[in-house]
Amino acid sequence: MTSTILVIAEHADGQIRPVTGEIVACARQLQQLQPADIRIVVLGDPVETLAETLSQKTGLPVDAIRTPHLAEYHGDTYRDVLTDFIKELQPRYICAAHTSQGLDFAPGLAVRIKAACITGVEAIVEADGEICFTRRICGGKLTADIASPNAQIVLSVLPGSFSADSSNATTAGAICYRTAISETSARTIPCGVLRSSVKASGITEADVVVAAGRGIGDRENIALIHRLTALFSGSAVAGSRIVCDQGWLDYAQQVGVTGFSVQPALYIACGISGAVQHVSGMRASGFIVSINSDPNAAIFNVSDICIVEDLKTFIPLFIETATSPHPD
Amino acid sequence: MNILVCIKQVLAAAVRVFPDADTRWIRSDSDEYVMNRFDEFAVEAALQLREALSDGRVDVISVGPERAEAVIRRALGMGADDGIHIITKTCGPIPPAVTAALMAASVRNRNYDLILTGVMSEDDMNAQVGPAMAEMLDLPCATAVIQIERRGISTVYVEREMEGGMRDALEIRLPALLSVQSGAHPPRYPSLSRMLRANRRPIETIPSTDLGMTAPDIHVVRTAFPGKTRAGYFLEGSASEKAAQLLKIFQARSLMR
Repeated sequence: MTSTILVIAEHADGQIRPVTGEIVACARQLQQLQPADIRIVVLGDPVETLAETLSQKTGLPVDAIRTPHLAEYHGDTYRDVLTDFIKELQPRYICAAHTSQGLDFAPGLAVRIKAACITGVEAIVEADGEICFTRRICGGKLTADIASPNAQIVLSVLPGSFSADSSNATTAGAICYRTAISETSARTIPCGVLRSSVKASGITEADVVVAAGRGIGDRENIALIHRLTALFSGSAVAGSRIVCDQGWLDYAQQVGVTGFSVQPALYIACGISGAVQHVSGMRASGFIVSINSDPNAAIFNVSDICIVEDLKTFIPLFIETATSPHPD
Repeated sequence: MNILVCIKQVLAAAVRVFPDADTRWIRSDSDEYVMNRFDEFAVEAALQLREALSDGRVDVISVGPERAEAVIRRALGMGADDGIHIITKTCGPIPPAVTAALMAASVRNRNYDLILTGVMSEDDMNAQVGPAMAEMLDLPCATAVIQIERRGISTVYVEREMEGGMRDALEIRLPALLSVQSGAHPPRYPSLSRMLRANRRPIETIPSTDLGMTAPDIHVVRTAFPGKTRAGYFLEGSASEKAAQLLKIFQARSLMR
């Protein structure tokens, strides 16, 4: 019997999320190492349009599970319905998104079906004859290749790590409809999705973004970031989550998974460690310069220019250099 | 309301780490350990709930080697009532399902109304222990929670953080487990007098071997520095030379006049 790789589609607001295409790309790569059929499962109510989009885009077979009253994501329902479905299908791999949805249901799902669970997968490699899943550890400073001999493995796929195929498939995949009988769980009652009242503070339109991270050390040093930013026209000050949590900058200035995504012509990362959650919000920038006192900082792996210096001395020095009359 | 907070000791963020081929794990240039930052937010959230309700207790639990006692002491210094330490022998990574199973086994009959964890650990970054433990204890669960309010005797209202600043609001029946995202309530700093008192308090210790449990095997095959996705050109020379080089680069690319 051929084994199966199951892709769990992610959707919100009636739209398939782009990360779903990336999970499919991850599954296809896994298929190269471990011959298997790929199927996509999607839960929702209504589910028809979602299923048709998936089948046309990917050409893969789709299991569309009509789940009464499930318009938006709900953790208990996902775990219940997916457990029943997986027990029947018995896939070797179950691939979800490493997002607020996937991370909410995947670890519990794995426990329930007695599967191993590996989160934040950004690459698949073969080492010592085992299929390994590469993920970040230590705030992104290192990677670890993880393997499991378990019969079933749940993976969460890090957004931005696998390239989705943007073209439509030549033939649409077959859609198999079914209806879930989900007992209405009274344990968790959805109270709706709250839209953000935070609007990006100009960081998404700026040509130059200067961002502060944990390495700035002190609230007073935010002034240095402002002074550096003032050297550029069309510029804005941004920060990593940790700086916004400290109250040193506003959440409207936060770059990253839980903040805003930016792609300015120039991004200057000051004291930013380079955690995946931040990098995913700025990696598309035109030119990236990073200043950090740790030569092994993860941010240097995604930078064009790397400067190993203490930013408290380097930024004033740079401002002086840039504002002094030209020598020629 | 009785609250349990699961906390972890991790290497401080500034410590330099290197891949280690012998142990298939990591080595570091310092032994500076701290409480996982997200767990500090979970402890703070628990203390604020206790203060708002002016009843109940906040206990903390940690899985780790002897040295992990330090983070339990710190949580007591922040204001937690009691500490439980599940002592492990290994210094390598513990799979998240194992950590979850150890804690689930030791708190199963203790009748906590609410269990909090950090959204993830800063070192292993699995974000699994909380939701896995909830499943093992058959508790309702929400992850990446940034707002918790008590609603009546048996319910909490929570807001979970989603991508792009959106929030998912839920009412959850107690007992429940929540994983806490860092947010607007900065963790308090333990005062010296509280720390002194915390250092004298007894901590309940449980050897991990006493809690018979199994979990699906996942293991680390190797660790490495991540690959580069860009040129990653390191400027050389003194700080002033680097400043001059950087200015030239900006000018050459018309990023600065």
